[in-house]
Amino acid sequence: MAGLLSSVRKRLSSDALRTGRNGGQTDPVVAELRAALAPDRVRYDGAERTVLSHDASIYAGGVAGPVCFPLTTTEVQAIMVIAERHTRNVVPRGAGTGLAGGAIPLGAPIVVSVTRMNEIEQVDTANRFAWVGPGVVNLDLTRHLTPLGFHFAPDPSSQQVCTIGGNVANNSGGPHCLAYGVTNAHVLAVEVVLPNGDIVMLGGLEDEPAGYDLRGTFVGSEGTLGIATRVAVRLTPNPPAVTTLLLSFETIRDAANTVSDIIAAGMVPAALEVMDQRITVAVENYVHAGYPTDAGAVLLAEVDGLAESIEIDAHHIAALGHKNNALHIRVAADEAERAALWKGRKTAFGAIAQIAPDYYLHDTVVPRGALADVLDKIYEIADRHDLLVMNVFHAGDGNLHPLLVFDAREPGVVDRVHQAGAEIVRASLDAGGVLSGEHGIGVEKQAYMDEFFTAEDLAHQNRLRQAFDPGCRTNPGKVIPSGHSCADIQALRSVPRDVWA
Amino acid sequence: MDLNIDTDDLNICVQCGLCLPHCPTYRVTGDETMSPRGRINLMREVQDNDAPLTDEVVDAFATCVQCRGCEPACPSNVPYGQMIEQTRETLVEVGKVTPAWQQLALKPLAHPKLLRAGSVAVAVASKVGMVPTRFGLPEGLPIRQKPLVASGDDVWMFTGCVMDAWQRDVHHATQRVLEAAGFGVKPTGRLAPCCGALQTHAGVGDQARRLAETVIDQLEGQPVLVNSAGCGAAMKDYGRTLGTERAKAFSHRVFDISEFLAGHADRLPDATPLDLRVAVQDPCHLRHVQRVHHATRDVLRPFVRELVELDDDGLCCGAGGAYSVLQPELAGQIRDRKIAAIDRATPDVVASANPGCSMHLAAAGVPTVHPLTLIDQAITTSGPGN
Amino acid sequence: MTARLAVTDPVLLAFADEVGADGPVAVEGARTRWEVGGPGHPDTRLVRAPAGIVDYVPDEMTVTVRCGTTVAELHQALSAEGQRTALPERAGTVGGALAVGENGLHVLGRGRVREAALQVRYVSDDGKVVTGGGPTVKNVTGFDLPRLLVGSLGTVGLLAEVILRTNPIPAVTRWVASDDADPFTVLDTILRPGSVLWDGNRTWIELEGHVPAVDAEQARLASMGTWIEVDGPPELESHRWVLPPGEIQTNVDGFGSRFVASVGVGTVWADVAQPSRAVAAGVTALNQRVKEQFDPRHRLNPGRDPGAR
Repeated sequence: MAGLLSSVRKRLSSDALRTGRNGGQTDPVVAELRAALAPDRVRYDGAERTVLSHDASIYAGGVAGPVCFPLTTTEVQAIMVIAERHTRNVVPRGAGTGLAGGAIPLGAPIVVSVTRMNEIEQVDTANRFAWVGPGVVNLDLTRHLTPLGFHFAPDPSSQQVCTIGGNVANNSGGPHCLAYGVTNAHVLAVEVVLPNGDIVMLGGLEDEPAGYDLRGTFVGSEGTLGIATRVAVRLTPNPPAVTTLLLSFETIRDAANTVSDIIAAGMVPAALEVMDQRITVAVENYVHAGYPTDAGAVLLAEVDGLAESIEIDAHHIAALGHKNNALHIRVAADEAERAALWKGRKTAFGAIAQIAPDYYLHDTVVPRGALADVLDKIYEIADRHDLLVMNVFHAGDGNLHPLLVFDAREPGVVDRVHQAGAEIVRASLDAGGVLSGEHGIGVEKQAYMDEFFTAEDLAHQNRLRQAFDPGCRTNPGKVIPSGHSCADIQALRSVPRDVWA
Repeated sequence: MDLNIDTDDLNICVQCGLCLPHCPTYRVTGDETMSPRGRINLMREVQDNDAPLTDEVVDAFATCVQCRGCEPACPSNVPYGQMIEQTRETLVEVGKVTPAWQQLALKPLAHPKLLRAGSVAVAVASKVGMVPTRFGLPEGLPIRQKPLVASGDDVWMFTGCVMDAWQRDVHHATQRVLEAAGFGVKPTGRLAPCCGALQTHAGVGDQARRLAETVIDQLEGQPVLVNSAGCGAAMKDYGRTLGTERAKAFSHRVFDISEFLAGHADRLPDATPLDLRVAVQDPCHLRHVQRVHHATRDVLRPFVRELVELDDDGLCCGAGGAYSVLQPELAGQIRDRKIAAIDRATPDVVASANPGCSMHLAAAGVPTVHPLTLIDQAITTSGPGN
Repeated sequence: MTARLAVTDPVLLAFADEVGADGPVAVEGARTRWEVGGPGHPDTRLVRAPAGIVDYVPDEMTVTVRCGTTVAELHQALSAEGQRTALPERAGTVGGALAVGENGLHVLGRGRVREAALQVRYVSDDGKVVTGGGPTVKNVTGFDLPRLLVGSLGTVGLLAEVILRTNPIPAVTRWVASDDADPFTVLDTILRPGSVLWDGNRTWIELEGHVPAVDAEQARLASMGTWIEVDGPPELESHRWVLPPGEIQTNVDGFGSRFVASVGVGTVWADVAQPSRAVAAGVTALNQRVKEQFDPRHRLNPGRDPGAR
């Protein structure tokens, strides 16, 4: 989902676009790319390059170079070969909904948009897999599978727009990944064009392909190891029954303790989502889903599976809620009520847009037992920086999404947001957590990588990178921080050619 | 260059991208310059950073269907429709879009006789194969039409321009249904010849506002019922486009025909349902702008055997007022997508409450009728007293 | 400033010293699957990974364990809290199970070995302790090095300590068998079986969950054959095949006189060996480049090839 500082973005991007206005000669690779693809599928005009210089993050780096819209693996290969011949960098792109800056160009790389590689090629329900293009939209795939009795399990909040290729790059999660696992558990094979132009099939339809688990390392590599051109995804049968409970509590600590107790009791619900009072009020005013606005926190718990089994789990969850002083427990009576509750949860960020024009959405994971303490800390940090924070998060796996809500027109607020954000990230690390649960590192969290990993750890991540991309030309300057990476970040940030010339 | 877009509006968008799948041009091109997020990005570049109006920038703005499917999808409530209308209007002023011949072509809309004469000419020409198929015009435009006659003064029935010229049978059906529900109907006819929606889309704001003033002046008192979704949306928006209290008051009196009938469902007679499986195709300006598309289903359901939903989230069909004529290639691709969704739903007939949509789909061979035509048929064939 | 993942545990540092920075070296576990990947080089010095459960927090569903610990010992400790892992019961040590990376017969119910390791600590080719992944159940911080290490046969790093994901042990586990049921139809009928095994004639199903749910599933099975309750899975044959699940039936004639196939997964235990699986040239080259990066001097478990299976 969204979370950004529009005004910051504008300032940064216009700087990038205003510099060096008198460039003007055509990029020499454009003609070659057009010959290899088609003239209308390689764009080099200012409009295209400007628009594809951004993703959903606040970050601005360089400016898109030639923008390619390949249709086939062979065309992606041709792009990679041309890029290598000219020692040019390449940035793959899906729907551009990432929040960590993973899809923004640094320097003036060739941008490869896979949106037109959007065919669902084969669906095999007997063997529970489908071959899809990287540009297939996550929700389109699930809708295609629904009448067949299956779905694609990862369901990030951006699922109506994000692509399978983007899910592979970011190892995307979502509320229902608690029980079903994140993208890595749902990708069997990935056809990849490597930076040297080789086409390789990583993984396979068999459970344990021979050799290193390169499919497993490719998923979540944020587009730095090559470009996925076809993906074999696992199909998950739709559960025959679903029960959704809404529990309200006086304090967010009670809600967090209930989550811990549910996990400790040996249950793995399909989803466990918590919203604090501030965001619950905002959501209720926005969508009128029937959320209680007087509670300190609400817990949305969903169990799915066999009817005989979810009844037991639902009772157990209710009992644990009562044990933790639940004010009220409600079971969604029908699909309509269930849909309304989920709509509220999934449009939480929209509700915030009604309160203030800007917000910064963070993403860290902490041990589940530390949730309540870290949340206290987050409120304290926000108070100290005179900022409004709201918490809505995947409680079941400890994945926090603190939202700092503000108006960027207020002088100095952006700096305070960044300071508070840094403290929140460090508070999560102090509690034994990690930098990101879903959004990835991109350019957003590179600066924290040194605080988490040792230099040796990062050097080993770079070894993997070198094996795939020795020239560091595919999405360079992402994930691994400057100083540990093969790429010369300074060169990447050099002033790009003017796009409007 | 100042596009005259409100600076605050321009700042609302946080570029999250949730609009992309709801944009028909992005859906068929995969190109973000043809998405709301991309277009807003370009508006900012032009207005705030003085980026030049290159052909590609103008094209990005000109290819927007203005379906406004992005608006309900936007978590930040960006008023995209207003922003693109304002952009178009500014581009018209500087001569970048809607050249003079197109502006001229919009004039007859306000002059029923002229329009009807032109339509007859087109109808005759298309019968003898003189109109290129790329114009996407429907076959069988009426050459002669029966006049509409007032039956009372409970409600205004807005007859409009194109609709009256090309689909007057729908007006007749609407009037019969209203009368069956006990309402005396006043067709607006020449009193208020055109709502100005097409002019607004084309960025010819002055023409549009003049037409709006006429409509408001002439249609006093009773509820104004509209059976064209595009007209209804424009008339409900007069309060904003004209900015006067009188216009706001008028807009509150405007109802889509289904919206109105849904509020008086108890007055509709019982009838034997037509033996048809009907797919409801929501006109964008009914679903995304007026947001009263559920009323169509509520009103239609008792009169047909089966209603079936399309599975495309109400994505635009590509008609977009004059869009199908101005951007035939994109409009065709967008329509192909819609037709695929219709094929999946396997209906006998498609119900669409907007003349642009129904003509655009009919031109591709999709049997499309107005929902009121179906209701009228059901009531009429059931006979009085049923 | 010290990185959060910096290693201070003297046991791990001592293991790194023992591995050292020179000469061919490999970790010896219980030798349960010692032959996988071909014979190791005879001059290889064998070391043992440290053992012991370091930290087990049942509420977090994670356990930190040194790799020399046996799977049996680990699972005994976990079962006291009603938990288990995806590591196969038949494996020897935790490190061995991960280095070999073979799934057991409970994949459908307990998950895959490749998805079990949240964080790995291994000794690198130059004798340093390196950490990949992270301690939480959900994490996308940096590249997924745990995936690379699992199944790598100790050729890119020697596993020292891991954080594993644990799963709850269901209220009831019940094995049923039938001689007249079609296992492929069964797989489509039972929502989440723990295991579906087939030997060409007999089908075994592991039903898991709450008692009423297992009873209900068992009742559903009745329409698909005659079932009897059995103590557990059949004996597995010694040669392990890995196939796409859709290719079990087409390969039945190749499994020899006896086999047990994991339906829906594609693992087959047969009494003849699987013909070596072809790996495409491009993938082989990429595997070699990975090996060169992580072990340029070829000192980590020389002679073994994760691609030769």
